[in-house]
Parts: sequence; C-alpha cells; structure tokens
Amino acid sequence: VSRDNFKRCDQSGFCKRHRAVDPGHSPYISLFDTLDIQPSQISVELLNTKNNVRLRLELFGLQHQTTRIKINEVNPLKPRYEIPVGDVLNAEPQQDTLTVVEKNDDHITLSLEKSIIVLNREPFRIDFINDDEPTVSINAQGLLKFEHLRKKKEDSQEKKEENEEEKASCAEEEVQEEDEPDMWEETFKSFHDSKPNGPTSVGLDVSFPGFEHVYGIPEHAESMALKSTKSSDPYRLFNLDVFEYELYNPMALYGAVPVMLAHNEKRTVGIFWHNAAETWVDIASNVADKTFFSKMADLVKGSTELPQTDTHWFSESGIIDLFIMLGPEPSDVFSQYGQLTGTTPIPPLFGIAYHQCRWNYNDEDDIRNVDAKFDEYDLPMDLLWLDIEHTDGKRYFTWDGSKFSHPDEMVKNLTVKGRKLVTIVDPHLKKDDSYSVYSEAKSQNHLVKNKDGSEYEGWCWPGSSGWPDFLNPEVRKWWASKFAYSSYAGSSKDLHVWNDMNEPSVFNGPEVTFQKDVLHYGGWENRDVHNLYGFYVHKATMDGLLERTGGEERPFLLTRAFFAGSQKFGAVWTGDNMASWDHLKISNPMILSLNLVGITFSGADVGGFFHNPDAELVTRWYQAGAFQPFFRAHAHLDTKRREPHLLPNANMLAIRDALQQRYSYLPYWYTLFYWGERNGGPVMMPLWVEFPKDKSTFSMDDQFMIGKALLVKPITEQGSTGTNVYFPGNDLWYDVESFQTYNGGDTTYVRAGLTKIPVFQRGGTIIPRKMRNRRSSTLMKSDPFTLFICLNREGEATGNLFIDDYHSYNYKNGKYILKGFNFRKNVLESVTGHKDYQTDEWIEKIVISGFQVQPSIAILKGSVSGQKELEVNYDIVEDNIIIRKPGVNIAENFKLILQP
Amino acid sequence: TVPRPRGVSISMASFYTPGEKFRCLDGSRTIPYEHLNDDYCDCQDGSDEPGTAACPTGRFHCTNAGYKPGTVKSSRVNDGVCDCCDGTDEYSGLIECVNNCKELGKKMREEQQRVRLLQEQGYKTKLEQINEGRKKREEKKAMVEALEKSKIQLETLRNEKEAKKQEVEEPETEAKDKHKQQWEEVKAQREAQAENERINEAFIKLDANKDNIVDIAEIMAHSEFDINSDGEVSVEEAKEHLEDAEQTDPAYFAEKVWPHIKDLFKKEEKEVEDPGAEEPKVPEVMDNPDYDEDEEEEHDEDEHDDEDEGDHDPYTDDHEHPDELPLEEENKKGDQEMPEYDEETKKLIEVADAARAEFNEADSKLKDAEKELNDLKSYLNGDYGPDEEFSTMKDQCYEYTDREYTYKLCPFDRATQRPKGGGSETRLGSWGHWAGPETNIYSAQKYEKGQNCWNGPDRSVRVDMTCGLENMLTNTYEPSRCEYVFEFSTPSLCTPVPADSTRDEL
Repeated sequence: VSRDNFKRCDQSGFCKRHRAVDPGHSPYISLFDTLDIQPSQISVELLNTKNNVRLRLELFGLQHQTTRIKINEVNPLKPRYEIPVGDVLNAEPQQDTLTVVEKNDDHITLSLEKSIIVLNREPFRIDFINDDEPTVSINAQGLLKFEHLRKKKEDSQEKKEENEEEKASCAEEEVQEEDEPDMWEETFKSFHDSKPNGPTSVGLDVSFPGFEHVYGIPEHAESMALKSTKSSDPYRLFNLDVFEYELYNPMALYGAVPVMLAHNEKRTVGIFWHNAAETWVDIASNVADKTFFSKMADLVKGSTELPQTDTHWFSESGIIDLFIMLGPEPSDVFSQYGQLTGTTPIPPLFGIAYHQCRWNYNDEDDIRNVDAKFDEYDLPMDLLWLDIEHTDGKRYFTWDGSKFSHPDEMVKNLTVKGRKLVTIVDPHLKKDDSYSVYSEAKSQNHLVKNKDGSEYEGWCWPGSSGWPDFLNPEVRKWWASKFAYSSYAGSSKDLHVWNDMNEPSVFNGPEVTFQKDVLHYGGWENRDVHNLYGFYVHKATMDGLLERTGGEERPFLLTRAFFAGSQKFGAVWTGDNMASWDHLKISNPMILSLNLVGITFSGADVGGFFHNPDAELVTRWYQAGAFQPFFRAHAHLDTKRREPHLLPNANMLAIRDALQQRYSYLPYWYTLFYWGERNGGPVMMPLWVEFPKDKSTFSMDDQFMIGKALLVKPITEQGSTGTNVYFPGNDLWYDVESFQTYNGGDTTYVRAGLTKIPVFQRGGTIIPRKMRNRRSSTLMKSDPFTLFICLNREGEATGNLFIDDYHSYNYKNGKYILKGFNFRKNVLESVTGHKDYQTDEWIEKIVISGFQVQPSIAILKGSVSGQKELEVNYDIVEDNIIIRKPGVNIAENFKLILQP
Repeated sequence: TVPRPRGVSISMASFYTPGEKFRCLDGSRTIPYEHLNDDYCDCQDGSDEPGTAACPTGRFHCTNAGYKPGTVKSSRVNDGVCDCCDGTDEYSGLIECVNNCKELGKKMREEQQRVRLLQEQGYKTKLEQINEGRKKREEKKAMVEALEKSKIQLETLRNEKEAKKQEVEEPETEAKDKHKQQWEEVKAQREAQAENERINEAFIKLDANKDNIVDIAEIMAHSEFDINSDGEVSVEEAKEHLEDAEQTDPAYFAEKVWPHIKDLFKKEEKEVEDPGAEEPKVPEVMDNPDYDEDEEEEHDEDEHDDEDEGDHDPYTDDHEHPDELPLEEENKKGDQEMPEYDEETKKLIEVADAARAEFNEADSKLKDAEKELNDLKSYLNGDYGPDEEFSTMKDQCYEYTDREYTYKLCPFDRATQRPKGGGSETRLGSWGHWAGPETNIYSAQKYEKGQNCWNGPDRSVRVDMTCGLENMLTNTYEPSRCEYVFEFSTPSLCTPVPADSTRDEL
C-alpha cells in the first residue's frame, strides 16, 4: 500500500480534536428540569458548561433487550444528517417499556426488561447494569464532544455584535470557542476540502466494564480480537479502495460496519454506532472504577480489579445515535442486531457453491474452454465470472461486440450444466453522451454534484466518469430498471451481478474517493453520507435483480463496499488481497469479524488477487475457501492463469477434493443460512460463540466453527504438514475423513499433508451431506443424502436440515421442509419441523460414528413407506456403522431402530 | 443385443449374470444380484452400479448406435444433462434427451473424411519437406567436413604468419625503444642547460652592480620579493630570499637561492612583459572587499599582515595563475618533438608492418571460416523433427493479423508483435525448445525470454502446431497476460491415415 495516499489521524482535523479531549473532565451535565419521561423513552437536555450549548438526549427502550441513545443539538443552525429509516434500519425499532425505578437529584434509575439503566446528572453519564454487574457505560471517560453548528467568524467586529445580540436574547450566553485550524477548511496532499459547514463532528466514549475482549467494526485487515490503539491510529471506518492493503493495522478498507461486540465468560453485549460519516474508534484496556459502581452494582465480589475496555467513537458529522444490545448470550446479540438492520437472506444454493473468476476471461471461447476444463477434470463449479474487460469500453450493461457477440448463447452453454454467469456492474459511468446509461443519468439530473452544483467528474476504469447519486431513491429506481432483461441486453435470470469500486473508487480523488464536499440528494455532503454510497449501490442493484423476475428468483449479488445492513443484499468480499501466506491467514479473522456483525455471506479471493501464488499456496487457499461462506477464486489481469487444472496433478487432485468436500456439505451450509436468516447469527463463527465460557477461545481466530457442528483449522503456513488443533468443550470431535476421535479440552497435533483439511465434526451432531459428485450444485438437486451421525459420550446426536427449491423465494410462503434428526438410545428419529414442499431427495446411507456396542439389526419404520429391515455394515477401518439404503424420502418421518 | 445391466458394455456383459451373486470386479466383495444398479454403491470400484450415479468411481457405457460408443463418469448419470448422444444416461425423467447419434455419426464421418484428406495431402508435402530437410542436412554436413579441413590449413597458415610477425617485431621494438631512450636523454640534457641559462640570466639581472655578487640591497630593489605586499621589500624579506645569507655568489645562488625564488622571479618577468594585466578586470567586484580577500587568500600563499589589507590591490595578483607555461611549451615545440627514426629502424618497421598485415589477413580468414562452421554446426545441432520435416520453416517468417496486432513467427528464431497501426515491434520470445507433451513433443514449440511485461513476467509464446496443407500462422491469443499462444498449421505434422482406420469405432 502507498500509505501516503491515506489520511492518518493527525492529518484529519476532527480526529485530532477528539483524540485531544481530556478524559475525566466532562463539561456536560444533565438538566433534570428538562426531563421528559414517556412510557418507553425519556428525554433530557444536556448542557455543555464550557460553552453553554445545549444538546438533547433521547433514550429509547427497545424490544429484545436493546436501548437507543440519540444526542443532537437542541437548536441546530440547520438539520444534521440522520440515516433514513427503512434502508439501514429495517424499520423504526419496536419500543419497549422503560420503568422509572428511582429518581433523585443525583441520578435516575430505569429498568428495561432485565436491565437497569442509570442516568447520572453531573457529569452526564449512563450506565447499564445486568444481573447486578455493570456492562456498558456511556461517557464514563467524559469524552463526549459535540461540535455544534456555528457561523464562521468573518471578522472580529461582526462577532462582537453577534455576541451582544445573543447576550440580550439568551440567558446563558453561548461562549465562542476559538477556531482551530482545519475547522473551516482542510487540505490533504493536493486536495482541498472546503468545509462550508465548519466543524460538525460528534464523539462519545463507551466503556465495557468486566470485558477484556471486543470484536467487530470491520473492515480492517486485523486479528478478530481488536487491539488497543494506544500506540497506533484509531481504527478507521471510511470506505476506501486501498491498493495492496497492509495487514494488522487500523487503516480503513472497502467497507464499514460500526458495530462492536464485547464478550466475557458471563455475557456478550454489542453496540451499533448508527452514523454514516467517516468514523474513528479508539480502544484501550483499563480497570473499572469500583468506587463508582459500588453504589449501584454488586460487583465487588472479589478483591481483584475488574478489567474494562474503553472505546471512543467519533464521526465527522451527523448525530450521535447509538444502539446498545444487551445480550446476554452471543446468539441474543446477533438476533438483537438482526432485528435492527436485518439478516442475510438465504442465498440461492449456487451462490454458496464454487465461483470461478478472473480478471479477465477474454472472450466466449475462453469461457467455453474454462467451463470444459472443469468438466474434463471433474471439478465442480457453479459460476463463471466476467470482469470489466467484457464490456464495450467499460460501459456497464454492454458487451465487447467482438469478444462477446453471443452472450445469450454463452450463458445457455453454462446453464445446460446448471451453471450461471456473473458480470461486473460498477457505479462509475463513462462520460460519453452516446452511452445511454450515462446520457440518461445526465439528462435526468441523476449524477452526483460538485459543491457548486455542477456535475462531478472523476477518473475510473473508463476514464472520465460521472457517478449516479444512489442516495436518491429516484436514482435507485432508475438504476434498478437498468437490470430489466429488455434494458440489459444479453442478461437473463441466469446472469448475476457483481458491484465493484462502489466505495466509490475515484482514481484522481482524495484518498482515491469522492471529495468530502461533493453533494448528494437533499443537499447532503459526501462528508455526511460517505459510508452509505456503496450500500445504496448494492441495494439498488439488488432491487433491479429482484424486479426482473417479479421477485420470484433469488439473485446472486456481490459487493466490495458495504455498511451496516448490507447483509440484506447479498455477498461481500474482502477486496483486492494478495497471493501471500499472510493474506491467506488473515482471511479467516477478516471473515469472522464480518460474520460477527451480520455480514455472514462473505469471503476472500481464493489464491489472492495480486501476484502469483505457488501451487502449494493456491491449494491451501482452496482448502480454506472451501470452509468459508463465500467461495470464489479470483486473480488480477497481470497474473498467470491458475485454474486448478493448470496446476501440478497432486495439487489439482487436492483442490478437487476440497471442492467436492464443499459440495458435499452444501446442504449443511444451506441449512445454516436458513437459521442465519431466521435468527441473525453467523455461519462462520469464532469458537467462543459456541463455547462462550471458554476463555482460551476468546482471541482464537485461526480455527473456527461452521455452525454448531464443524470445527475447522485451515492450514495457512507454508510447508506445513500438520497443525495443533484446540478441541473445545467436553465433546468428542471426529475427523470428518478418518473418523478418528479427539477429546474436547485438548490441544492435539493433527497431521495435514497437502490433501488434508483439518475439519472435525462435533460429537452429538448429525450432518446431512450429498456425496455424489456432480458438475454443479444445481445438478445435485435430486441427489440423495447421507446422514453423518457422530455420537457424543452419551450416545446421542441431533441435527437438522432445511430444504426448498434452492432458487426461488417460495420458501417465504412456507414452501420448504425443515427436518429434525435425533439419535438417542439407539434410535434415530426423523421428525418434521415444517413441511409444505415436495422433493425427490431421499436418504441413501446413514453413517454412525462413536458406537459403543455394534448393532447387527436395523429396522426402519417409515410413516409412509412402512417397516423394513436394513443391512448394517461395519467399517473396520473407520470404526463406523453404515446403514445400507434406508431409501426413504427425506421429507418422510421415520424411526430407525438399531438392535444388537 | 446381449441382455445386460444398464450401463454395461457388451464386452463386460459376461461379468453380470442374472440370478447369480455378483462379485465386485475388484474382487473386494460379493453382493446379491438385486443390489446391482439399485442406486446404492456396494463395490469400492463402482462395478455394481454401472447404470446409476451411486458410485463415485463408476463408469456408464453408452452404445450410441450410429456414432461411437462411449463411457461417461457415473456422476453424469441422471443429472439432468444429456451426455450420451443416445440419451441413455438420462432415464430418471429429469430431462428428455433427443437421440442425435445418427446426426453426430454423419458429421463425424464427414469430419474424419476431411481430416483424412487433409492428412494425406499434407503428408505428401511433408515427404517433400523431409527430402528437402535431409538434403539440407547432408549438404551442411558436407560443408562442415570441407570447412574443417580448410580450417586446419588456415590455422597452420595463421600460426606461421604469427611466428613470422613475432620474429620481425622483436628487432623492431628494440630499435624503437633505443631511439626513444636516446631522445629522452637529449631532452634531459637540453632542459638542464636551459635551467642554467635561466639562473645565469637571473643572476645577471639581480646583480645590478655587476660585481658577480648579489647582495641584500640588490634583492630589495626587486618588488616581486615583497612577500607581505606592503609595497616595499624589507631587509628581512630580502634576507629570507637569500636563505639568511648577506650575499650570494653565482654558485650559492644556483644551489640554494634559485630553487626558492624561481617562481617569484618568473612572475616578475611576466609582469614586465605584460603590464596590461595590472588593470582591474572586473571593477564591480570591488564593492565586496571581503570576497576579494577570500579570493586573495586562496591565491597568495605568502604570508602577509592583516593591516595591509586596505592598501592591497588584489587584482594585481591575477596573473599569479601563470599562463606562460603553455606559451613556453609552444616556443619549444620544435625541440620537444622526437626526431624521425633512423633509416635502419624505419626499415625494421616496414618489414614488421608487412608481417602484421599478412598475419591479420590469415587470422581473419580463419575467423570467417570458424564463424561459418559455427553457423553450420548450430544448424546441425538444431532439432528439426525426427525426419528433418520442420527444417523448411527455418529462416522463414509467418504473420497473422488480428484486430489490433500483427504477429510474426520466425520458427527456430523468434516471435514478435507490432501494432497494426504502426509502431515498434515487441519481442514476444526467442526460440526455446520443443514443448509438446511427452507423447508428441513435436506438436508445440516454446519461445522464451521476450521483453518483460510491466508488473508481469517476460513475454513468452507457445506455438501449438497441427496438420495443415501449408506452413501458416492461423491464430494467436493471450490466455494470461504476456503469455501468448500461437496456432500454426504445417504439413510437417500430417500423418498418413489408413483408409479404414475409423471403421472399428462405428
């Protein structure tokens, strides 16, 4: 990365000003005489005793143990930006009763479900108490700083008059603060930011008493457990296109989700900083102020100090709008956040299969050949991708006529084998009046404007370009209409889309993006809305893809830029990574961080985008990618071809094996995404989500869980032939290939030669897999299942399975099957959670591991098929029992009784 | 047709006997006949499920009547894609397959006919190429033999000439060195004489009263001895010049005094000869006396008192940088040049020159022969196919033009590219090696180490060769950045096809 292209905190005026706030001397007091108490919200004015400016605090009790705190000026000179409800927030959050428990001159105590909320008068401060322990504190460090809107001091004379005027009219005189440099304009490199509204930033500290680990606030190339920023810049959230990004540092990347989770052995809490402007977050380790808390909480049980993590959030504009999600379980926080911004809808099955991409597949022959090679080498693959070169001169929605003259035929050749095509559609429009998308946008006044109201112009792939103003709902409608089959020639329901460069990337802009004073819909500056631009590009594209099938088919859509709530529109990837072992290694924490804040359908470019990986690195990357939610190989234009069939045979075989493993687990992934949509939880998750009391897992990010049943430790070291795996809990863990067992609580060295992916099924779980190798997931639609039952020490196991047509929205109308499988006392029972769908899928085999006594008879009692005896085979090598061909339809309820 | 389970070929039918237990073809186990093709995999080798997709390693046989029989992977059975032209791989109802074997068969036969004709015709040309190539190799071999012989003669001749040359160069060098040495001695003598004259002259000049003694007073009369530049030569200054003596006779003067005053004295001479130099040349610099002083310090190595600064005019010292030496040199040039060699030496040189010329001629003849030999050998070391069939394309170039570029292949030499609209040529690679698969190594060539790509590898080209009626570059593409593939047709890859070779498969 060329670090100089991107701002450090000391090059950003508001970052410097907030970092300079002196902790422990908050000038804010709550004016209890302005207190307004409603059934589910209270409001009170906050007075800044230094400048006499008043703010209004609103505190809302929300359903699902969630609280919202909004702070804005009582009388702003003009409105401050607030993100419209319905886009990031699904809807206005449902309120819940707040009860006043106690009120005196010093503080007010409220209760919300199981939580206690204490609002302190002087200094202003809010504390959340759960189970008699403090969990979240607001302004405990006294870092609240709200830069109220003000008029620029033109000269001292005017200022004086104004002051006198105010003196006459106001009881409390607003004390003029001295302007600091950077308040009314700022220069970075050769770029000037005009700042017509002056200083507008807002900042607040949030402490987590009792918590040593905080997570989230992606996107950063950083470990999953966030680090103290004492000796670095704060973590920065500002969507940017960063070339060859550096690892393990707080620099901003392509997306921003201002959501943080704190976790300890007792509980998990989360906060959501609902602000779309450039944001920085400082993190520090501390110890809680016991003297303060002892007044209200019963935390002084031990004599040891209570650790505390302090965080400090500041944004360049907007208001303070903070959601506090009080858990207490990890799954509660996920669902609380999911209630606010929505969850990841179940992708179409092919979306979680394998994607083959490259910048670029040159022409139709190239596509045909790559497609054929995957068949020749028996490598399953669902989607082929076309990058920017497929267009006519980087004009999106068009085709290079000489290289892609028959897109319909090309797509048809793919769909015959159940495959799809993805084309790239970026938000920059080539300034060419004969390009209809641009000329329409221009004539309909749809483009982003300069501060003087003229059309904004910047450079991107096509050269001089304009950018549609996606903040405008009308523009989004117009953009969505471009995806109609009639409008996008060569498109069909089997052509899916990829939004890139939507931070937006502007090659000649400051920090490779828009100037901050560029103007959007409603007169808002880019400064106010920057982190939302890519979100809205993604949303508008999804709207278009839905409209083209009348909302019947589930489209696949990928984005590079994102914000809180982007999970609703599809997949996200970690941008332009590099072909290095370090980048492979960091893909896991990066995707884990995204999963923790709702962006569950996420992945990294397999193989690494820039540079040439050697065969070992590609192989190991495929193995990791096979167990990450979004699984796509991608490569830069300047790199050598690296499709698996071009690698040495041993590597090709190892990759084929990884691909086939991925495909065999697709029913499991698909079911996880079903639960994810329903409950908001991650699909790829840190161990602590499943083992929340196991402190040794709190910063573990090189091994992780896929759902509750699979533990994965991808090999990310060059030349490695094995790795130490930590097996959590008291469970047994089964190697998914050899069925060798490992004991929970142990760290064990596991051999992992080139073909081996260390993956373990947890004892007590049942995973339905499809073991027939087809060319694509679509061709597996009617294939039978094999149930893999790994028993726990009590000889029990459970699992479930979601089935529908794998591609439409009919499941929203109940057209799906939800099965439960329970194994207990030598009986496997298949029960139905929901069934309003017909399927051909059946059960061909049941594999049971961990049996104490080998049964010899298996009797199947099907609710439809009746009773039959099944052959029981014993696999001496794997120590498994194999039930031969139950043959029942997957939807049918049955009991399988095993007898000695 | 022979009754047999679905997906089994006639040749394998005997392994599948109805009513009898089936033994997996790998012998691993025996299963009831009913378990054959029951959509459950019992045999490790997949032999119990030839007609279903149950076994990961199975193969499905399709008869494809009218076309050629084939096998597809079991995973292709009942997956909704028609893989066999007779459609027998899809019987579950997922898809209706049209039997297009007849059509394909017809096309295949037409294609086979076309290929056969092509191969035959091309093969005729190939035979000619083989003849030509072999002839070429024989010719070159013969040339090598002849050249090797004449090379020996040329070597002998060259060595003779070299010996002769060395023989006559020895006396030549000796005579030349002697002449030079003598000249050096003469030069030294002359210089000593001139110096004595200068000393005498100086002494006479200083000895104002002509008493053959120079005393302090006489020194003081010469302003150039004013070391501190205070405008007068003091007694001390004069004494210092006389090396602390009160006076000097000519001998003491020459030995002790002259070496120290020689430079000063020359200055004085010059001043007299060139009085114009005393005028300031750059008056504006006068405004900056400090600067002047610095300049002065650098130039004037003699000591002087600081108080004297004010009176001192630095510009009189300008000609302390003596230009006169070159002048003197010029005056003496006639004397400085070495006289011509004497007649005897001249003769020796003449003889040596002649010997050198003769040697050079013999040497260059030998080198020419060696080069020719190298060229021939390098050709003979080249691999132009097992029957020299590719040799005819050596020293030829073939071009192909697409939308943007004209590509050029000069086999066994290089591959290049130049923009269609003009512009400079880019080297895509130089001849590397044959690069076909082991079974057919002569089906591809590799050209390597072309110009480096920005942010990428050195350019390279793989040339894929197929049978065609003439040598022709037929297509080019760039699958990875800067890694090109050329398609080249050539009779050299045509092989004769037995007329009925395709019959068996029908």
